[in-house]
Parts: sequence; structure tokens; C-alpha cells
Amino acid sequence: MKVEISRRRFLQGSVALSVVGGTTLSATNILANAKNKSQNALMKKVPTVCEMCVNKCAAIAQVRNGIVTKLDPNPYFPKSRNMLCARGAAGIHALYDPDRLKYPLIRTGERGDGKYRRATWDEAYAFIEDKLTKILDEEKDNRSCIGYCAGEGMAEHTFKSFMADKFGSANFLNHSSICLQTAVSGFTLTIGGYGQADLENAKYVIMAGANRAEAILTPDTMDLFKRTRGRGTKLVVVDPRFTNTAMHADTYVAIKPGTDLAFVLALTYVALIDQVYNRAYVAKNFVDFDKYKKHIIESEYTPEWAEKITGVSADTICKIAHDFMAAAPQAVYYQGRRTTWSKNDFQLRRAMALFTALGGGIDVKGGIVFGKSLPLGEHTINAPMYAQAKPRIDRDLAAIVGATGTWVGWRNMVAEGKSPYPIRGMFVYKQNPMLSVPNTAKTKQMFEKMDLVVVIDTMPSDTAMMADVILPECTYLEREDPVRMFPGIEPAIVLREKVIEPMYETKPVIEIMHGLAVKLTKPLWEITKKYDDDVKDELEATPEDEFFEDGGFNLAEPFEHTQEELNKHMFVSKHGEEAWTLLREKGVYYPNMMTYFKKINNNTYECYPKDKKFYSVLKLEEKYDPETFLHDTCVNPADIADLKRSFNTPNKKVECYLGSLEAKGVDAMPKWRDEDYVTVPAGKFKFITGRHAQFTQNSTMNNIMLLELMRENYIWINDKEAEKLGIGFGDTVEVTSKVGQVHIKAYPTPKIVPGAVFYIHGFGAKSEGLTFAHRNGASDNEIIEDTIEPVHGCANMHDTLVSLRRV
Amino acid sequence: MNYAMALDYQNCINCKACEVACKEENGVQLGADKQRIWIGVVEGTIFGKPFANLYPSQCNHCIDAPCVNVCPTNASHFAEGGIVKVYAEKCILCKGCMEACPYDARFVDDTMVAVDKCTFCDHRIGEMGTTACQATCPTKVRTFGDLDDENSDLVKLLKTKRFFFQKEASGTLPKLFYILPDDLAYAKQSVSANTIIHTWEDIKPVYDAARSRRSKEWKR
Ligand code: SF4
Ligand code: SF4
Ligand code: SF4
Ligand code: SF4
Repeated sequence: MKVEISRRRFLQGSVALSVVGGTTLSATNILANAKNKSQNALMKKVPTVCEMCVNKCAAIAQVRNGIVTKLDPNPYFPKSRNMLCARGAAGIHALYDPDRLKYPLIRTGERGDGKYRRATWDEAYAFIEDKLTKILDEEKDNRSCIGYCAGEGMAEHTFKSFMADKFGSANFLNHSSICLQTAVSGFTLTIGGYGQADLENAKYVIMAGANRAEAILTPDTMDLFKRTRGRGTKLVVVDPRFTNTAMHADTYVAIKPGTDLAFVLALTYVALIDQVYNRAYVAKNFVDFDKYKKHIIESEYTPEWAEKITGVSADTICKIAHDFMAAAPQAVYYQGRRTTWSKNDFQLRRAMALFTALGGGIDVKGGIVFGKSLPLGEHTINAPMYAQAKPRIDRDLAAIVGATGTWVGWRNMVAEGKSPYPIRGMFVYKQNPMLSVPNTAKTKQMFEKMDLVVVIDTMPSDTAMMADVILPECTYLEREDPVRMFPGIEPAIVLREKVIEPMYETKPVIEIMHGLAVKLTKPLWEITKKYDDDVKDELEATPEDEFFEDGGFNLAEPFEHTQEELNKHMFVSKHGEEAWTLLREKGVYYPNMMTYFKKINNNTYECYPKDKKFYSVLKLEEKYDPETFLHDTCVNPADIADLKRSFNTPNKKVECYLGSLEAKGVDAMPKWRDEDYVTVPAGKFKFITGRHAQFTQNSTMNNIMLLELMRENYIWINDKEAEKLGIGFGDTVEVTSKVGQVHIKAYPTPKIVPGAVFYIHGFGAKSEGLTFAHRNGASDNEIIEDTIEPVHGCANMHDTLVSLRRV
Repeated sequence: MNYAMALDYQNCINCKACEVACKEENGVQLGADKQRIWIGVVEGTIFGKPFANLYPSQCNHCIDAPCVNVCPTNASHFAEGGIVKVYAEKCILCKGCMEACPYDARFVDDTMVAVDKCTFCDHRIGEMGTTACQATCPTKVRTFGDLDDENSDLVKLLKTKRFFFQKEASGTLPKLFYILPDDLAYAKQSVSANTIIHTWEDIKPVYDAARSRRSKEWKR
């Protein structure tokens, strides 16, 4: 092996297949050429919080003469560990993207053809008012006839509180059911919370399917890779692909997609049969352990059984089970995100949680920990009651459909005309279902059926092209957002301050909601008065003005204060004025910050002293409430509340057997079912998808700085199989599934198991408004089939079969 | 001052944050071959099993920099602390330096009509303490510092570790120190049998001697 490598070789051989020789100028190059940085320019530094992905890293923006010239990491925030990833550093190009939505737009052509005219905000609001009053009049004030969805973000709640609490629709969707809901609930129902894997101290980590080198999660990514390769953590990576994470593994286990549950069950079998689990811990902390043990052993989930299903040798399984338990409790079967790969995903996450718990690695240093939270004040919203508003349409599609719905299931009901009442319109905030929900053709069909589609976004996405009205939001660098607390081993509060004034005619979502609310309040009130019997009754006894205000029908009322005022109220009520000044200065706050915080060197900062971190908390907390232990920036607590209702044995112990779910047709204990597994017939491939460290889902696809790093996506195919099919590097292949067909260039590689093909999510946009992202590579959801798993109705992302043809 | 950098290359995850931070910080021209900083990837299979190693790379700010030696107009020069830089206005694009550099660390910046390369972020190290690539890196691969300062993060680190250079045989006395893993088994996975392994004791006299020979040329 040679160590010395030249850059040319890298350019040829790398997976990041950039196009060589583009000569575009970077915006910083034009705006603030550092080579000629003039020293007397007006400089300021503003603390902000990155929104290029969901992690919310604390950053410091450098502003020179009103132009943001650089984003640097802010070391005060323990969660982001003094770093900004490629996307975070490229945030400037989200701000100065020439394709940004600049002013409101009203559709003039057919839906989807991209023809719009520039409008004023008032015109746009009037257009919405017009359509909405007509629809609500026809639907007799059933507010739920308007659906709404939102992408994750600090201001998501502002949009949601308007649509849910004020407007009053039950039909909300977010990314949970196309992302991590099964993992969150699987862990929550089993060990009481999703928790946080303490990768700074774990000695043994099984990372299955998760790819922390490429799907960056803070602080996990930063903690883990400083300790791999003989430096503290043994890492086992289980994945159909040899990822950048696998590159760091002590043991890389190539597994057939969709078989992880069999793998975990066999690990469990070995731990139980060989009695290497933590018996003292189990005796103290498990409920129904005997049932589980009996079930695993009687079902004969032996390593040999699993080998046939997973393709992983029985010896490997035995060794991993033993090594894991030897390192336990500092041993973690990593929870993972963007889960729901196949039908059994909820059971898979349960089995993973139980396996970690068998080693005792829950609520201890080096295990899965729950950490502590810090208080923040609240502001209450006076939510009106609408007697005519119907419950959400997708409740019966799975055992527990939470408040964030089942995206695929909901969409299909609308597209296929199976909704119990008509869904006439949709408000979309910062989400791009045309690219993010499996089976794009059906999403398009859904939008085509609607009378009013409103999109609030910063970019003319494929979904924006489905809109009747597009409302331009400003980017995260142009607004203050709701202050946010991050619980954990080192809890902290962060604040995103406005770095520069909004450009063009864009506005922060709180102002958009305010403008809309002011416009809609009176006309919608008239409709409510017309159809709502409860309101009619009330009005007989109460003067209209009084009931209107007291009943919460003034829709604009929660949005009348500025975000800054709201933040101050939320924060000062718990931490005081002095802390508020500190928070605004540093962008971060936690109690004792100025005494705790220490710079060790340029790479290392200590936020909490070692003995002040919150590793084991359950015994310390007076009231144990799983909601505070979610640790997830993108899970709706209402969902968990739903879960808790169905979970009637909240006995604060590790739950092996979920009797309450059994009543809903869900296996009470993790069980492998052959019939749930999609086998791959000869000549077909199982399609899998994933993330990487240079793009976030489909939201950064037009960022020229990031396109530098990866121009388009390629389909990974096992090199031997590619050879048989005559497919070489860079050849265009046609990929066909039951629901769609795409063309994409090939990347034959030994780094993927036979029988599976892969390409990265987030490419293949069709919107012509996206100059740089337009038709780069292929979109995964154009070919992913729209099946859902039975527990929450989450999309099965890895159950699609495809065929390949060189074209 | 004698600026240099140590790289804990084992930490690298090829996320390319360093590349973006460098481009944003320094207004580097866009284009995949326009890089001041890059990640060398060596990958393949051993007995059918895939492996990969990553070598984060940039200009070595060589003490005996051949790029400076060959430059006919003195555009390539040593700035303060031995940082190798280019005066864009003096550069005539003869590209001799690009030929001379064993590390392929230079490229043509069409907007400047000159050769461009890593500057060790010398415009910001005073204020920010370190380079953009070090500051942004999620796994903290880099430690920038002053070889002359026994108390710098860099020298403190080098004193406790063994390290190697890329293409040491080129004889340019490069200043990117690749930190070898303490664990031998892991070390073997990422260096070849004939890579020379160094310690601070053995390298210090060599580098000090070269420094006194060349530092007369360094700008102050
Ligand atoms: S991980 Fe990267 S993109 Fe995500 S918040 Fe942090 S810096 Fe931003
Ligand atoms: S930022 Fe750090 S981890 Fe990422 S590619 Fe650069 S050196 Fe590697
Ligand atoms: S690495 Fe190349 S460009 Fe840098 S100093 Fe050495 S020879 Fe010159
Ligand atoms: S030191 Fe500065 S100029 Fe050099 S590679 Fe790093 S960021 Fe770029």
C-alpha cells in the first residue's frame, strides 16, 4: 500500500465525483475577496445557529459592510463541539443563492409548469383569503379540509401553532413518518426515551445502518471518530455498504438489507444462552424478562438461523455478542435515525434497545443516557374550538397514528380519493414532499387535486412549483428564531440572532403568519358564525366582540410580538436579565457557563467540568417524564403523549412485553416474520438510499459551494454484478421500479453487497427555478414504493425492488 | 516563528468541511481542481474486503520549498513564519512552481490570473488563533502552531507522538506532520513498510538547521 497520493488521483478515484474545471466565481469571491480584505471595513460578529441541517450548531457570523463573509464555529455550545461541517460553512451560499425566492408569486400557468407572476404581499394574502373563504364556506367550516406540513426547523412551531391552534386543522404532517418515528417510539416504549448514545465514553458501539461519518449528528460524530481505530471505542459497523463510517470500524459486517432484526435477535439469543448478559441489572430493571427469554430461545433465533437470513456468519454474530457484553455497560447498539427501512422497523428498534439494556448500558456513562434539561418559559396560545373541524383522516392506517400523521398513507388517501371528507388545500412550510415522500407521481397527483396550495420556502423547490401562491421566507441568517433548549449530558440553551436584515421582499415566518392571520381573521370568523352551532349558541349569551377575543378567534394574537420579545419573555422568566445579556452576547447559555467554560487548546473546549456532567439522571429526577428525555430536535412530543396513552404500564422499567400494543395487532415482543421480508428475485435488486456529509436531504441541492464537492449522485452497484450486466463507471443506467423510472450514472464498486443498489437522496430536482440543482442525477423517491409499516404508518424506505438496464 | 501543522489523520471522515471553510475564508475560486486543501483517498480491497484510508492534505510549507526556488519573478516567496505564499501581481503563470511542487498543492486561479495555494490563513491566525480548516473540522484533525514555541499546542503534541511525512524522499522538508496512531496494529493499516517514522527528538535538529539556513529569506 502506498501512502503518498496525489490530488489528481483523488480526483479520479474519489466517490465525490466532481466535475473538473468549472470556473464559477464564489459569492465570497465577488463580495468579499479575502485576498484584498480591506482593514477599515465595518466588521461585526453575530452569534447565530446553523440551519443547514437539523443539528443546530452554534456559529459566529462575520459581517463586513453588511455582507456575511464567514461562518465560524461557536465553542460555547457543548452539543456542536466547536465545529461547522461543510454545509454549515457553506450557509453563506444559502443566503446569497441567486435562485432564492425574492418576492411573493402567484401562479399564472398550469400547476407544475413553473409560470408565476410577481405579486405584492397584500395581493398574495388576498388571493389566499379569497380561495380559503370559498373552500371553508363550501366545506361548512371544516378546518381540517386544509392539510399542512412542515420541515424540521427552529421556526417550525410558529407555523404549526398558526395552522393547528389558530386555524384549527387536524391534518398535520411532518418528516417523522418518513424519518425516525419508529426508532424514537421503539426506544421510548422500551427504555423510556430515545436518549443519547454517550460516544465520548462508550467502549463498544454497534452502528447498524447509521452512518455517522456521512450523516453527521452532533455531538455523536465528533465524539466517535476521535476514539475509533484503537483509541477507546471498538466500532462494529453493520451495513450493506462500506461507508465512511465502516472505514473506521474494527469490524465491518456486510449485511443484506432488511435483515437487521434477525441479526439483533441472534445477538440476543447468544447473550441469553451463553448467560453473558448483565444478570444483576436485568433482575433489577426489567419487566417480563422471562417471557422475552423464553420467546427468543423457543423461537430458536440461533446465529446459524440468522446467518441464512442476513448473510453474516454465525461466528461473527457470536463474537460480537460476547465482545459487546464484555464491554457492557459501556456498550451501545446505536439507535440510529432516518430509520424505517422495512416493515419490521419498530420491532427492530425494540430489539436493539433490549439488547443494549441486557448489558446494562442505560442511563450510565458510556451507554445510552438521558441527560438533563434546562427550563424555558412558555407563552400560551388561546386556541379556538371549531365544532365543525373533523379529526385527521389517516388515523386508522396504522396501530398508532400520531399527531404528525403518516405522510405516505395520508397522501395516498388524498391522491386516491379515499379521504372521508375532501382535502381541498395544503400549506407547505419548508418541506419538499415532491422529493422527500416515496412515490413522487402520487404526490403530484395529490397536489393536482387541490384547490389551494400555498408554499412558504426560501427556494423554488419542486414542491413550490406545485403551489398557487409562493410566499418567500428569509433564510436563517436573516431572522431571529425561537430560543431553544438542548437537553443532554451537557444541557444548554441557544439563540439564533438575526445576522443581517431580510433581503429582497422576504420575511420571517412569524411575520408571514401574522400578515396572513390579520387578513384571514374576520372573513373566517364570518364562516364560523355561519356553520358552527357551538359558536352560535355562545353568541346568544355573550356579546360578539367579547366572545371573539375570549374564544381565541383573533388569529393574529400570538404573532403580535416580535420574536425577540417572545424570546426575552421565555428566557428571562427562568434565568433572569443578566443571563439574557450573556445569551445575546455569546449565543449560548447554561448555568455557571462563565465559570465552567474553559479553553484547553484550539481544538478542545470544556463546557462542563467532568464531575458536573449529567450521565445518570433517573434517580435524581423527582418526576420522570420521557418527554424531556427525547433528545430529538425533530420529534413531536404530542406523538409521544399519544404513545404513552396506549402504553399503560409506565413502570419505569425496561419493557420486554408490550401487552397494550398486542391489542392493536402489534407483536408484543420483537419477532422475525418471514412474510414481512422482501426477498430479491434473480435479476432484481433491492434499492437502498442514504445521506452524506455534503448535502442535507434535498434542501441544500442548489448550493454552489456544496455542488463543488458533489455534482450529482451515482448509483452504487456491486462491481461483479455490474460487470455481468456490462455496466461500467459513468455509464447511464435506467432504474425501474413498480412506481417509477430514473436515469442515473453508474458507480460499480466492491463497497456494496450483491443484490442491492444505492444512491444518495437529495438529487434529481426538476424545478427549472433551481439553476444549479436542475436535473442533477436522480431522485430516490421517484422510484421508492409507497408502502408503510403497521405501527405508525412510516414509509418503508428499503423495500423497493428495481431492475437495471444500461442505456 | 516557524509555522507548521500536525494532522491526526485517523480522525478524518472525509466530510470536506475544511475544504468549504477554506474556500469561504479565502475566496478561493470555485471548481473541483481549484483546491487549497483536499482529502487524499486510498481505497481498494484486501482479500475481497474493502478498505480505505484518508490523508487530509494541503501545502506543506516546505522549508526547502522547490516552488520558491524555481520561481523566476520571486512571486513565490516565504512570508512571515516560513509560510509559502505567492504575490499574485508578480506571477506570470509560467507554472514552474506547479511542476516543482511534489505535493500538487498549487493551481491556477483564473480570477487572479496567478497561481494560488494555501496561505496557512495568515490573515486570520493573529485574530482567530488558528486556520479556518482547523477551526471548522468536526473531528479536529489539525493542530496548527509554531515549531519554535515549545509551549505551542503543536510542539506539545509532537513531543508525545510519532509521525511521518508524505513524500519525504522529495527532500523538501515538509511541515505537515502526520500523527501515527499509538497502536501499532492500526498504524500498520495506514502507512507502508518503508515510510520513515519520526519523533520530535530526531526531527528537531534537522528542521532547526534547515530553518536557520532558509529563514534569512523569510519576510518579517
Ligand atoms: S451539522 Fe453542519 S449543517 Fe448541521 S447544524 Fe451543524 S454545521 Fe450546520
Ligand atoms: S474537516 Fe476534518 S474530518 Fe472533515 S474532511 Fe476535513 S480534515 Fe477530514
Ligand atoms: S508543498 Fe508544494 S507549494 Fe507548498 S511549499 Fe512545498 S513545494 Fe511549495
Ligand atoms: S490553512 Fe487556510 S488557506 Fe490553508 S488550507 Fe487551511 S483554510 Fe485553506
